[in-house]
Amino acid sequence: MLFNSLDFLIFFVLVFIVYWALNSDYRKQNILLLLSSYVFYGWWDWRFLSLILFSSFVDYFIGLKIKSHTNEKLRKRFLILSLCSNLGLLAVFKYFNFFTESFANAMSVLGWQVDSVTLNIILPVGISFYTFQTLSYTIDVYRRKFEPTKNMLSFFTYVSLFPQLVAGPIERAFNLIPQIESKRIFSNSLFKAGIFQIFIGLIRKIAIADNLAVYVDSIYGNIEIHNATTLVIATIFYAFQIYFDFSGYSDIAIGTAKLLGFNFNRNFNLPYFSKSLTEFWRRWHMSLSFWLRDYLYISLGGNRKGIIITYRNLMLTMLLGGLWHGSSWNFVIWGGIHGIFLSFEKFIFSISKSKDFNAFGYIYTFCIVLFSWIFFRTQDLDSALIIVNKIVSLDFGQPFIGNMNSFSNALFLLILGLAFDLKLFRSGIPLEDYGKKFGSTKLAFILALIILILSLFYSTSENFIYFQF
Amino acid sequence: MNRKNIKFIVKILALTLVISYVADKLIFYALNKLSDQVMVGQTGGKLNHFLSLKDTLDVIVFGNSRANRHLDVSMMSERSFNIGTDGTDIAYFTTLIKTLPEKKEQLLIINIDTKNFFESDYTGSDIRALKTRFMRNEIITDELRASNHIKPLQNVFYSMNYTNRVLGLLKNYANPKYDYRTYSGYDPLVLSETQKSIRNIIVAEPNKRICYETLRVNPAALKYLKELKTHLEESGKTYVFITSPMYDDPCTNYQLKLTELMREKELKYWDFTNYFKNESDITLWKDKTHMTKKGAERFTKMLIDSLSIKN
Repeated sequence: MLFNSLDFLIFFVLVFIVYWALNSDYRKQNILLLLSSYVFYGWWDWRFLSLILFSSFVDYFIGLKIKSHTNEKLRKRFLILSLCSNLGLLAVFKYFNFFTESFANAMSVLGWQVDSVTLNIILPVGISFYTFQTLSYTIDVYRRKFEPTKNMLSFFTYVSLFPQLVAGPIERAFNLIPQIESKRIFSNSLFKAGIFQIFIGLIRKIAIADNLAVYVDSIYGNIEIHNATTLVIATIFYAFQIYFDFSGYSDIAIGTAKLLGFNFNRNFNLPYFSKSLTEFWRRWHMSLSFWLRDYLYISLGGNRKGIIITYRNLMLTMLLGGLWHGSSWNFVIWGGIHGIFLSFEKFIFSISKSKDFNAFGYIYTFCIVLFSWIFFRTQDLDSALIIVNKIVSLDFGQPFIGNMNSFSNALFLLILGLAFDLKLFRSGIPLEDYGKKFGSTKLAFILALIILILSLFYSTSENFIYFQF
Repeated sequence: MNRKNIKFIVKILALTLVISYVADKLIFYALNKLSDQVMVGQTGGKLNHFLSLKDTLDVIVFGNSRANRHLDVSMMSERSFNIGTDGTDIAYFTTLIKTLPEKKEQLLIINIDTKNFFESDYTGSDIRALKTRFMRNEIITDELRASNHIKPLQNVFYSMNYTNRVLGLLKNYANPKYDYRTYSGYDPLVLSETQKSIRNIIVAEPNKRICYETLRVNPAALKYLKELKTHLEESGKTYVFITSPMYDDPCTNYQLKLTELMREKELKYWDFTNYFKNESDITLWKDKTHMTKKGAERFTKMLIDSLSIKN
């Protein structure tokens, strides 16, 4: 079920009414949330519910086992069991074909002919997100940062809560489980903030991102025939398409959760207003970048084991972070580019004793991010290299515009989206709280205006970009 | 949640709906007024122009961008129009043909391509290109409703009829790029140097179109074809279906199957797909499916000879 569908609107209105009618007993609300989350997920393919159930069972029991043992060896064994189960699911469903094909290719380079075994596997929607969520629970329990819940219903609801199930934000147990295990209070200000954020999410996704996608897809579908000017424009459009697509999704998820009385963590904080790549990663897909920092970078030793190990850890974290996005070397290279420049910045900041670049940093950061998006967007390494080659060899010329109407719509909406982001940036108020400042009549006017913009500029896309990850 | 909260939610939602409903109607009315004055551009102006002329025309060309770029109707008659429109197909032009006057003698040249006739993903959604006339033209409104390609919300929010067309309409209103009174609907392709280099790359590449061996007529295309046949017979129009030339079309079985289908339905059909196949002159082409002005003029002359049309 897609957030931008009529199905979801009907589904959510029904859940919302019944949910608040059960307000006297939060346990009944949790039963409703769990069942409705399974319906929400099963709408795509009910067979994959078994994977969520498996993941939930494994980490629920392992969490309790880790808590019940004081013997560190045993605790570690249970943690490894959780890691193997969750990462095993990911390995089979997401990376099996990638690893076998890469192995066969590597062997053929060395002169050995190996037939790669591939499986005809469909990638279950959201597997990367809920797997990381359950893993964070077990690791936090193992690190004694969080007491495991004994309530199976709470834990299963935590894993599958529908607003964040398929594309995050990756919520930590210490933020969400206490909310699940206590009475949710409806407040008018939370409702205002939630509904405003949902509408902003819709406009970001349906109007801005999907209109940008029309041009991006047409250019990236035929990179060979376009010059560098066109490819740069398409890549700039893509940079904003993926931002508005994914931040729009997160806005709808966070806003929907607010309407149910939950507070999720922020997932995007105007990332293109960053003066360094380090800052960019504190603003882009925050739930993933903080997850990687807390459970991968720090687990590898972080910056506690000397400068060389710190750079190694940074690179490894970004390479694996890239691989998390999908089974392609392009994602690994994308992560590698970020890793290299993050290391570079770490070095510069360590010798200059500053924490940021000057205003020039905005341009520097955007250029690096833009360059890395080429690898992220293209289907294979050859395509990415064609684009890089055209840009490096200064194959500039008159840009290809295609359908002028589509192009001008995309440009107009991009300017609109950026103007709103600039206003947010200057106001210093997070989008998550922005709706609270409006009176009810003013809010209604704003929502009506958004409805009209959507009526006049919506575009249709079957999916959100991050569903494929 | 208490009564106060419920009141608050109802107030915001009701206000939002009322304001958006009223504003939607105002915008729809304003856009209608504006749109009626726009006679240029593919966002609605060309359609307006055609609807204003259709009852007086002798020759009309229908079809997609290939029809639009390949047939210079001004060479056929002074009272002619090419309503070929990018991205449209049989659902779109069947509906337009139904709007033509019944008693007037008119020659209809209808360009059809094999793709949508034999591939399963065609649903007739090209009819949506007529949505600026939804709720404003009875025939088009009925056809749109019958097609199921109108979104349920479109019955409430009428401004959705102008989705993604507002900027184009405004631009064409403020700064029309040609004088519509001298425009025949034909848009010749004259290539810039950049386009020529893109063309050279495109035509050098092997054709990637996937051709299936087992062919089944697409149900949506067939439905419209049957409706069109009935309408053409009842209205007594002179017509010919054509497929205009392509640089190369690997799906020869599709061509044969379409010819067979048209013969079966007793519809007059000429297949010119391979008309320029033996010519090596690349300047006839913009890409593998669209001819340049030079190619279009040669093709139009040949078609005129075939139809025995005199100026």
